[in-house]
Amino acid sequence: MAEHYSSFERKGTRWLFQRLTAVFLIGVLAFHFMLLHFVNHAAEITLAGTTARMSQFGYFATMWLFLVTATFHGVNGVYNALINQGLKGTQKQAVKWVLVVASVLLVAQGTRVALAMTNLV
Amino acid sequence: MSQSFNRGTVEDFGRWREFSAGMWAWIFHKFTGWVLVGYLFTHIAVLSTATQGAELYNGTLQGLEALLIVRFLEVGLLAVAVFHILNGLRLLFVDLGVGLESQDKSFYASLVLTGAIVVASIPTFLGGKLV
Amino acid sequence: MSTQIEQETETEESADESVTEPPVESPGDRRRQQKRERASRLDEQRRVEEEVSEDEETVSLKIFRYDPEVEGKEEPRFDDFTVPFHKGMTVLDALIYARDHYDSSLTFRHSCRQAVCGSDALFINGRQRLACKTQIGDLDSGTVRIEPLPHQAVVKDLVVDMEHFYDQMEAVEPYFDADDLPDDELEEQYQSRENREKVKMSTRCIWCGACTSSCNIAAGDNEYLGPAAINKAYRFAMDEREGEQRKQDRLRIVEQEHGVWRCQTQFSCTEVCPKDIPLTEHIQELKREAIKNNLKFW
Repeated sequence: MAEHYSSFERKGTRWLFQRLTAVFLIGVLAFHFMLLHFVNHAAEITLAGTTARMSQFGYFATMWLFLVTATFHGVNGVYNALINQGLKGTQKQAVKWVLVVASVLLVAQGTRVALAMTNLV
Repeated sequence: MSQSFNRGTVEDFGRWREFSAGMWAWIFHKFTGWVLVGYLFTHIAVLSTATQGAELYNGTLQGLEALLIVRFLEVGLLAVAVFHILNGLRLLFVDLGVGLESQDKSFYASLVLTGAIVVASIPTFLGGKLV
Repeated sequence: MSTQIEQETETEESADESVTEPPVESPGDRRRQQKRERASRLDEQRRVEEEVSEDEETVSLKIFRYDPEVEGKEEPRFDDFTVPFHKGMTVLDALIYARDHYDSSLTFRHSCRQAVCGSDALFINGRQRLACKTQIGDLDSGTVRIEPLPHQAVVKDLVVDMEHFYDQMEAVEPYFDADDLPDDELEEQYQSRENREKVKMSTRCIWCGACTSSCNIAAGDNEYLGPAAINKAYRFAMDEREGEQRKQDRLRIVEQEHGVWRCQTQFSCTEVCPKDIPLTEHIQELKREAIKNNLKFW
């Protein structure tokens, strides 16, 4: 706290992105729930229906952005929660990289699945 | 001073009766956040069956939807998501410096609204054939 | 209470008498003297009980006790005290009464008794309050539960170690430091009315530590600057007389990872502040200011 303040670490970027992704996610998450529980009943979902939706470029792009922003928002939120609990030093670095790897894997796998859902592949 | 007594952080959650609206909002937001990020990973895992062909995908999804417990869990997920959205809106306004004086009321409002939306959605979620 | 005052005056008078009495004592004088002493001793013993029983209203205190230097007191415990209640009595009044009448080892900080010095912030009935500003009549429950400030190490009884809090306050360089001084250094540096209004509430901080003690994040993350220090930074960063360069320096301090970004807008600090400073609002404004400031550079 009182010891050393470096002028090169500006930590406001993550805070800002957390808010910006929040704005996007509020809309998309609500849309996602409406579409897949009210418009299309969850129990009646089939791959054919999924493919029909995912093959529209706009829908595909929205869902993919949904994946990326949700991953950032969620993982960054977890990271912040841990810092708030006083996580620091080596542990903090370890947790950070575990979270980064997990996010990359999630986005990669999510992208793979999303492509499989289209009729492109 | 030879030594001092550190009461630690045990008191934080042991004193939940003394928490105020803003504190509860934070706890709920954090809890729903953990649930949602956990669900995100599970969700992608379940949807990954799409890479193995239509049969597996349809079978998995419909098999899950056939379980009553899954239907209830979905209602829970809806509650969690709706609260996170509504309280998230509240937090965005707080970040913009709007309506800070009524932050407690907006928290109660998001709670009530969450309840109302969830109750109204129960028929849709539990209805439909359980196969 | 009235009887007590009379008795005290009597004792004083008798003491005066004994001084002015002639050196020669008759047996009767001695007897009377002994009788008076006995009576005053008994008075002393009974005084406290009488006071309490004669008063219709009393208030019971439950006070956190701990003293690492005395054997048998190293284990924290709660002591109960019953003190006479009077209208307008503050928690500090009750504490002082308990210390002066029952247990002189009861330790707590207090000084001005009028919510200015900021030394008697305590955890009263589950909330950070200034003991001198909290009237017992305003508290809901019958028993007043008094504990030292949470999240600070307890030195003795109600006294906590404030060193870390002061370190945090110092970390934001809490003093006026303008880029340019007027040619004549003694010349007044005027502030516009609008600007004064903007920083007005933030100047009211008395360094009592109630806000930082109430903050859940400050409890978990020891490096977090905390609401009081950030409010202090706000007070100077928003002061237009300091100039742009100083403001940049100040923003650089609060936009550290453990600066403003750790605030989770729980509003605990704003709720407990005895001087009604809108701490959360100030922290939020600094966040936006820091973001805007950084966007400008892109």
